[in-house]
Amino acid sequence: MMSAPKVAVLFGFGINCDHETAAVFNLVGGDAERVHVNHFISGERSMEEFQILAVPGGFSFGDHLGSGRLMGNRMRFALRDQLHAFVAAGKPIIGICNGFQVLVKTGLLPGPNAPLPDFVQRASLTLNDSGRYEDRWVTLEFDGNSPCIWTKGMTRMDCPVRHGEGKFVMPSTTDFDALAAGHQLTVRYVDPATEVGSGMTDEPLPFPLSPNGSMRNIAGVCDTTGLVFGLMPHPEAVYAKWLHPDHTRNTAPGPEHSEALGAWEGEGLQMFRNAVEYVKTNL
Amino acid sequence: MAVTRVEVTPKIGPGMRDVRGDVVRRQLAADHNINIDDVRSIVGFLIKSEIDPGAIALRVDDLFADPIIEDGATNTLLLSNKEHFPSCPSTVVTVGFKAGVTDNPGAAALDGFKTIFPTSEKSAISTYITYAFFGLPHEVDVQWLAKTLHNNLIQRALVADQNACTAGQWPAIEYTEKPPQEFEAPLHVNMEIPDQDLIDLSETGLLALNLEEMQTIQAHYRDADVRAARTAAGIVADAPTDVELECLAQTWSEHCKHKIFASKIHHIDTETGEDTIIDSIFKTYIMKPTHDMQNEVDWLLSVFHDNSGVIAWDDDWSVCMKAETHNSPSALDPYGGAMTGIVGVNRDILGTGLGARPIANTDVFCFGPPDWEGDLPDNLFHPSRVFRGVHAGVRVGGNESGIPTVNGAIVFDDRYIGKPLVYCGTIGIMPRRLPDGRESHIKTPVAGDIVYMVGGKVGYDGIHGATFSSLELTEESPSSAVQIGDPITQKKMVDMVLEARDTGLITCITDNGAGGLSSSIGEMAEYTNGCEIDLAKVPLKQAGLSAWEILVSESQERMTIAVKAEDCAAFDALATLHEVEATPVATFTDTGIFHVKYEAATVAYLPIEFLHDGVPQLQLESEWIPPKVEAFVPPQAANHADLMLRMLARPNIASKETWVRQYDHEVIAQTAIKPFVGVKRDGPGDAGLIAPIHGDPHGLVISCGIAPRYSDIDAGAMAAASIDEAVRNAVCAGVDVDKIAGLDNFCWPDSIESVKTPDGRFKLAQLVRANRELERVCRAYRLPCVSGKDSMKNDYGTGEKKISIPPTLLFSVFGDQPDVRFTATSDLKQPGERLYLVGRSHNELGASEISFMLKESGEASGVGGTPPQLEHPERNLATYRALSTAIQTGLIQTAHDCSEGGVGVAVAEMCIGGRLGATIDLDGTGDENLWARLWGESLGRFVVAVKPEKEHEFIAWMSGQPITFLGEAVEGPNLTINDGYDEILTADVEAMVASWQGALDMTGGVE
Repeated sequence: MMSAPKVAVLFGFGINCDHETAAVFNLVGGDAERVHVNHFISGERSMEEFQILAVPGGFSFGDHLGSGRLMGNRMRFALRDQLHAFVAAGKPIIGICNGFQVLVKTGLLPGPNAPLPDFVQRASLTLNDSGRYEDRWVTLEFDGNSPCIWTKGMTRMDCPVRHGEGKFVMPSTTDFDALAAGHQLTVRYVDPATEVGSGMTDEPLPFPLSPNGSMRNIAGVCDTTGLVFGLMPHPEAVYAKWLHPDHTRNTAPGPEHSEALGAWEGEGLQMFRNAVEYVKTNL
Repeated sequence: MAVTRVEVTPKIGPGMRDVRGDVVRRQLAADHNINIDDVRSIVGFLIKSEIDPGAIALRVDDLFADPIIEDGATNTLLLSNKEHFPSCPSTVVTVGFKAGVTDNPGAAALDGFKTIFPTSEKSAISTYITYAFFGLPHEVDVQWLAKTLHNNLIQRALVADQNACTAGQWPAIEYTEKPPQEFEAPLHVNMEIPDQDLIDLSETGLLALNLEEMQTIQAHYRDADVRAARTAAGIVADAPTDVELECLAQTWSEHCKHKIFASKIHHIDTETGEDTIIDSIFKTYIMKPTHDMQNEVDWLLSVFHDNSGVIAWDDDWSVCMKAETHNSPSALDPYGGAMTGIVGVNRDILGTGLGARPIANTDVFCFGPPDWEGDLPDNLFHPSRVFRGVHAGVRVGGNESGIPTVNGAIVFDDRYIGKPLVYCGTIGIMPRRLPDGRESHIKTPVAGDIVYMVGGKVGYDGIHGATFSSLELTEESPSSAVQIGDPITQKKMVDMVLEARDTGLITCITDNGAGGLSSSIGEMAEYTNGCEIDLAKVPLKQAGLSAWEILVSESQERMTIAVKAEDCAAFDALATLHEVEATPVATFTDTGIFHVKYEAATVAYLPIEFLHDGVPQLQLESEWIPPKVEAFVPPQAANHADLMLRMLARPNIASKETWVRQYDHEVIAQTAIKPFVGVKRDGPGDAGLIAPIHGDPHGLVISCGIAPRYSDIDAGAMAAASIDEAVRNAVCAGVDVDKIAGLDNFCWPDSIESVKTPDGRFKLAQLVRANRELERVCRAYRLPCVSGKDSMKNDYGTGEKKISIPPTLLFSVFGDQPDVRFTATSDLKQPGERLYLVGRSHNELGASEISFMLKESGEASGVGGTPPQLEHPERNLATYRALSTAIQTGLIQTAHDCSEGGVGVAVAEMCIGGRLGATIDLDGTGDENLWARLWGESLGRFVVAVKPEKEHEFIAWMSGQPITFLGEAVEGPNLTINDGYDEILTADVEAMVASWQGALDMTGGVE
């Protein structure tokens, strides 16, 4: 068993979920450090030092010219080689909310139908159909057959979304079919009234079940390796049951017991534990 | 250099939509009942650069257009392209910024442009947006449409009407720059002039100083010692420079010096015969009680003197809070004004102690009715537009800064049409001790420290903000008083500053708000008793600013930070890493002089003592004559079920969910009670509750109270009600009542008797009464006020057209909550829960929401009567302690405070949150008058629900406190309210939901 996997949590230029993203990795046995994007660009720090990379939520560069685009460009142009090496080394990457938008716009997600990235943008996240930024809770369901290492064993969870540009689009249905065949449509918005395991549908769900009008109700996708994963909802924001809206009704879901938080672990923490455990086992 | 035009528009196709255009279409439908077939949008970039347009064209898809969802084109107008616009629009409006106005998308585009073209150092980019309307109804005036889509104070618009569209004559915004300005050497201002000329000098120069203040300045320059010192310093001896006069005007402004709160007041009460002198409302009623309490507790770390009040939260962390208003700028430019309000108060937190981290925002707005159909005075926006703009500004400011909005309120009254109130508050957290051992709430500057200006550059935007806000709003109000914030520049600065704090680089820090460098460096210079500034070192947005303009400009996103000389290299390196502007502009001294230079020349030489303590105390007259308000007499016959649905739709009561949900209230992963609660997460939350240390359930409660309408009868009652409401809300979350701190934010109409304000004595008496109640209630509640602010000129116009706001106190509290796992929310949890009223209802219907509703509808003729009183606050405190500890032990999980609409509305809201019915009986809950027990707004009351198995324990716990059994939650669809044997109303819960949620949903729907 190796020591605590080192997690680089990017910050700077308007990323703003860096503190809590670092905290949740630390709660599950990671060794997270907030690293300024420019430290990697200048070469003062190297991604090689780390086993996991997280691109947290926020408003990088104010989301002007499209969410995640300017940060995506900095990474695409200035960090291309480091990112390529990171993926080639089989190390997990997660992008949450703005981080997902960044990974999509760098081309890391959904990526080519090949194990290594080519930094070509194939999808986008655009303005919610409602035209509004909203913070609301949604129900997510995970594809149990997805190669995604981040979501292993996860079935359904409640989770907040907080975005104005979360509608996942790709140019054609064949693009989606290809991703679906590889089980890369890892997580989708579902109607909580459906039975667990049967909620996923390609038909667009009405607002607010789908908060943004995403094609095929997509909330998050992974690359072909399952190591690079991004999603619009915020699993780190439900690391504890006391962050779930139902906790005063005594019905907040989550494990009955955990080392991290006793009876109060929330459903979101498992995602980060999965990555830490993956690194401990495989790297 | 050439200017290249790039235009971008959303692709059309299955599943794709032009959301920007859609939003405009829906808002025109929601606000003006205008139905349009389709609106499409184009974003334009005007790139002035040495890079060849052909080279730019090749990279359009790399930067300006997202190739998956957008089409882009270079040096053409997309409207003329049939491929993108196959059909011809009937109207086109294009909107760009005026030269010199902050263009955030342009700045971001430039940053991205430099990533792609690293050699393009001298480039500049401005942006515009074009809306193409299809099927615009003929009766819609094109100029009117353009006016609703832009604000001519900061933007310009071009239009194409039907004829121009048919002819293909598309409007094209061109690149413009602010004309170059010449630096003007400081002027010497002759003060040896007659009194009337001194007054004129103050008015024409927007100095906002009165005659006595001008004379005090005049006298300073007559002093022989002053003249000798000035001669020695090489500055004009017998007159102020314009730099000095502007600096004094800023520092002595009502905004900065709170002259009315500091004044000597001759107060007469015609009811009681009282005739007294009050030497400073602030010192007497606010500061003294807090200092008395500070002697008795160990957790009040820093009160009044810093940018926010600091309390010890636990052994490792302290928390602080500040609330500000941004009323005048929000009236002129709702979006920009409100955004600078929120990001400005964030900087107050960053500038507290050695730097605190902002972790939560609160927003409280007061607007005119959004459905107002009456006349609008010149130069004022319709309340719905003010509402949209202010909301958008605060939303963008808060969300982009990554600070959750956890609590707030929106209040409506006709009189806020004249001046909206925009209160923005921020809570901060900092480690009690820094790694180097210093206590973080204490600033430690010494003479010799280097003073940096950090963040943005200085421009023309925001010159005269402080003095402007100390004047009433007129048609001539200057556009330079308005700025647009840039949250991302500020966010980068916050990241950098907190890192600098933790590495021990900061000895002193404050924000640049009102008065700019003049105030920030001026205030910090009091610590060491002197400073020397070189204005020529200050980085500028545009060349040519004169010395006084640099000194007083309120350009946003700036902090002033002192660093030891040996730490400057490390500080510079941090600034480079974070790409933050940081420039040393001054040095602290101990000379006793605020010494300002421009290169070698001394342009201001003011004794620190004169600058800060020289302003003469105002002498004011106050006289209380109780206003005569026609009594509220409820109608004989009333259908209370119908009244319930109407009350729930009152804007002051109705759900604000569609607005509040647009704030990020959960970033930082700490929010344990959301703004909306319950089974469908749409019932009202009473207070914000956060657990800011990840993994630790230790909580902090944030809540507020505001009740401006009681001022119509008695501003004292208004103040007491505001404080009590804030505390009640905090109790609902289980606050530790022995560790709560308060913030008082007064917004008042002009209270100085003059020709413009003939009723100044009355308005000042209202202020006196409000503050006396504030002292009485705060002392009884052991509730120290640790910070506050006042805005004292909230009037529009003069004479008969004058609109004055109702005197308004926002009272905010923040307090310790031992464990967020044990708290309560307002939603009913399950059928069979037993409902109790905590507190008693009294015959206090004066200025109640029901009285206003029935007066407006003509069913009653007045709103007068006894407003809610707080006769025995010390008894309330005992009740609050009992209830709060019942929540902290898990005995109670459902609690809701009674405010607007009384017990009736409180229970209705609990049913809405739980989607459950309830049957209650008001018999025995208070005074005889049913209206008072049902709709009255008596203070000190809550409705709580307790599980049947815990009922005995609850009753025992509350022994000695006033509790009355009301009834229970039921499975059925109805809320039934009885009074003994009489059924008063039965209302369907879903119907109540529809009334409550429909009133303020101005989204135009989602389809």
